Amino acid sequence: MTTTRVHHQIETTPFELSARTKALLTQPGMRYGHLTARSLDEARVAIDILLLDTAQGQPLLLTAPLEAGTCEYPALTPAIPAAHWAERMLGDFFGLHAVGHPRWKSLLLHDDRWPMALCPLAGAEQATLPRTPYRFLKVEGEGIHEIPVGPIHAGIIEPGHFRFSCLGEIVTNLEIRLGYQHRGIEKRLTEVPWHQSRFLAESASSDTAAGNALAHATAIEQLLGITPPSRAIALRTLALEIERLANHLGDMGALCGDIGYSPGAALFPPLRGAALALAQFLTGNRRQRWFIQPGGVVRDLDAARRRALLHGVTDLAKQAHEHLPLVLEHSGVLERMEGAGRLSPALARDFGIVGPAGRASGTRYDIRRHFVHAAYPALAPVPAHRETGDVLARAQIKAEEIGTSLDILTHVLETLPDSPIDILLPDRLPAHAVGIGIVEAWRGELIHWITTGEAGAITRYAIKDPSFNNWTGLAIAIRGNLVADFPLCNKSFNLSYSGNDM
Amino acid sequence: MRNPFLAIARTGIQTQRELFPDLPAEATGLPTVTAAPCSGCGECAAACPTQAVSISTDTQGPVVTLDRGRCLGCQLCVRACATGTITEDRSTRTATRTRSALMHSNRPQLIQSAPAPSRRFMRSLHIREVSTGDNASDLEVLASTNAIFDLARFGVHIVASPRYADALLVTGPVGRGMHDALFRCYDAMAEPRLVIAVGVSAISGGLFRDGYAEANGVPNDIPVAAYVPGDPPHPWSIIHGILLVMGHKCEPACNNDPLAGVIGVQN
Repeated sequence: MTTTRVHHQIETTPFELSARTKALLTQPGMRYGHLTARSLDEARVAIDILLLDTAQGQPLLLTAPLEAGTCEYPALTPAIPAAHWAERMLGDFFGLHAVGHPRWKSLLLHDDRWPMALCPLAGAEQATLPRTPYRFLKVEGEGIHEIPVGPIHAGIIEPGHFRFSCLGEIVTNLEIRLGYQHRGIEKRLTEVPWHQSRFLAESASSDTAAGNALAHATAIEQLLGITPPSRAIALRTLALEIERLANHLGDMGALCGDIGYSPGAALFPPLRGAALALAQFLTGNRRQRWFIQPGGVVRDLDAARRRALLHGVTDLAKQAHEHLPLVLEHSGVLERMEGAGRLSPALARDFGIVGPAGRASGTRYDIRRHFVHAAYPALAPVPAHRETGDVLARAQIKAEEIGTSLDILTHVLETLPDSPIDILLPDRLPAHAVGIGIVEAWRGELIHWITTGEAGAITRYAIKDPSFNNWTGLAIAIRGNLVADFPLCNKSFNLSYSGNDM
Repeated sequence: MRNPFLAIARTGIQTQRELFPDLPAEATGLPTVTAAPCSGCGECAAACPTQAVSISTDTQGPVVTLDRGRCLGCQLCVRACATGTITEDRSTRTATRTRSALMHSNRPQLIQSAPAPSRRFMRSLHIREVSTGDNASDLEVLASTNAIFDLARFGVHIVASPRYADALLVTGPVGRGMHDALFRCYDAMAEPRLVIAVGVSAISGGLFRDGYAEANGVPNDIPVAAYVPGDPPHPWSIIHGILLVMGHKCEPACNNDPLAGVIGVQN
């Protein structure tokens, strides 16, 4: 049995939730994963917290049902800062109010674009409160001025609004306001037939197609209590690592572009192109869309294509290892990256920063070591690790991970097991069950959390993109830096807007 | 210290010389409908996650209609089709100038003819991109500007402001949160202005269609000059859409000579 099962589900009350969670989080290896809510019936709602026991590789759920007619509960954010956006999301989508939240206001649904009383995920008879109007944090003092940027930015990039409060050229505060791309994915996932839900789940952030598809498939397989065949597991690993490789290579080029180091900006896009060609070879398209499905994968890799893919990986590895030092040993590049956009390990820990950005700020947290997905934890690499938390550290982490991804790809291609590539799935999911897929996507911890109701229908589907944690990290990292360093700092995080907006 | 310029010189020219090459054998293209008689089994329509395929019947038998404006390219219909009526098509010339031209069928289609495009932008087109929720398409637009596809060789440049853009390129399904921003961007452009919808989300809303977020693609009030199907489209398909609105023919004959066929006159 290689799929993880949810062993523990603790029921508590909204009043004890904060203290219970805080106490559990003192256990070694326990991390805060996500916070959301779920309708129990048309009138009642429960707050759900997902904790991740990294020592055991098991998720742990806390559920606190609210009494019917109640829509207020004591906020967790004062005790668990990492939950600050998740609680505001409950306000937008369930009409709940986290009493005592230090910055209570709407998160994704903008006042002038969505009706104030709209609560898309609340039950029809559930008590709700209208959203609290949005106000930007006002930084006051002599000489403070504001720079509003967005939602539409100057480059080929997703929309979001950045409000910089500056003293001269120095950023004193950055408030990030997203939500422009809200598409109603979580609601729609409870409306489509479950066997077609993978298409929508994968589109949560379509630049992370393999990661999202894998998290979805892992959650569904956990619900069904099935394990995909070994060859499918290996092919999924290839897809996940090619995605990481292509995006990290792209980031190296983009960082060089923002520094103004043209040779790096010229060398890396073709390498990313080569990685996307590997993706097309494996899955049929450059973005690895629709390849991973619950039960396995949709197409096999024959012997000739396996050899060609291995050859491609070897060739790409040679070029990547030649080109990376040209960037990371260049004194001009180092000078620009070093010390810029520093995120301290203490704040990274408090706000639960994940993925390469977390590992650049002192955490040793890599889902591949802890939770079962694809060929992990068996093939988990030693996590790259830095303490400095600056742009350079994030770039170095990505460069190291390019190396480990290439090693994993080579190993998997050389040891590809023989087996079918998928198994037949039952017609329905089990009733009243929970499935949680946790994946180390290229940006970090990605969670798909599925709850079923009567007759196995999906009643709640929550997605937590790694960017949902990390946007706060970016806002902290830019403080005290030059406004002109923001693009570089932003690129070193390279977060998903659409994965955050859902 | 190694010399980065030597590394660049060693890499050589990366740019693809052949324009709009068909996708390689290992890639999967968008589906199309052939003349092979359809059995009317309906497996394709049942398999499609976005209701892009429909089956009806006329006097000659079953009629298959495939709307590429809603198709994700997931291949489920191709795999479900026992008669070979729906097959994959590896062409990268997939963009069209009308919405109706995205409809594929085993019966002659009534395709609205689009007015001949102005030749004003034949040699140069400046584009503003607006993303609204499909970042894979954004990455493919970005890829079309890299050294491999080299969009700049056609006189096309991505610019930072709608004020100096000739064309607006939209990706993503344009949910409520982006309606205002998109209209304000469009209104900020000087006329004449063109709009290109890139990706199935921008064309029809794709998977997000008909939800409470009203993410149904580029709103009807904004006239679209070219549609690029796919989720996401291949960079060559995006370039195809851009060259179509510039008034190029992009016929197969333009291969091998990068500019002669492309800088041609629209009929």
